[in-house]
Amino acid sequence: MLVEGSPFEEAAFFRAVAASGARALLIGRRALVALGIPVLTVDYDFWLHIDDIARFNTAIEPMGLYPTHAPEEARARGRYVAENDERVDVLVARSVPTVDGIHVAFDELWSRRRSLEVAAGVVLAVPALPDLILTKRFGGRPKDFEDIRLLEALRREEGQ
Amino acid sequence: MKPLDTPSPAAVARVHALSERRLSAEEARAALAVPLGEAEEQETRSLIRWFRRRYPTPAARLAYARRAYRRWASARPITRGSDSDAR
Repeated sequence: MLVEGSPFEEAAFFRAVAASGARALLIGRRALVALGIPVLTVDYDFWLHIDDIARFNTAIEPMGLYPTHAPEEARARGRYVAENDERVDVLVARSVPTVDGIHVAFDELWSRRRSLEVAAGVVLAVPALPDLILTKRFGGRPKDFEDIRLLEALRREEGQ
Repeated sequence: MKPLDTPSPAAVARVHALSERRLSAEEARAALAVPLGEAEEQETRSLIRWFRRRYPTPAARLAYARRAYRRWASARPITRGSDSDAR
């Protein structure tokens, strides 16, 4: 949860992630916001390469973001959380099925990723729009499909 | 003006369950098949254009999201249990 007065510095957080070299894609509503869709969101969602868990954790631990599971355990579970006042949900899987049965591979999304500069010299990776739409089909909740409609509108706005 | 009644925990739990439920594959396909209507499309794209003009960089948009969440969290009458509505 984001708390008024929290010492959390978002730019420093993204800088640490970028500097770590971990292959981490920002997904979820925070990615929608970064791309230009004003939606309410509380946490950070990342899809992380399955081999980069330790690297990612080492980068964010100085900010007090401690993982709920060790890397081996996280790999087996497919996801974990790092949190203090903030919450970072981390998906770790080579591929994830959508609710309607499409298998989405991390490596393919990573190869098509879009880079956003979120602070001077700090680049954040997000999936390409069609891929971000696919990740919204992982959860399969009603609000995910509302977000998909917004993303489709953004896609048309960008002429894609 | 009459103050807003705080919803009961049971009502909050019910809304939470509805918003978090996972659609079936058939429901998902049906949801994907419904495009935005013309008016909704124009309104959505207008909102996107406004947001991108007002906050031209990803950093500014992300900062806006943090401020907006803080405002929302401080104004709402109920606490934990509805956080995921914002996710």
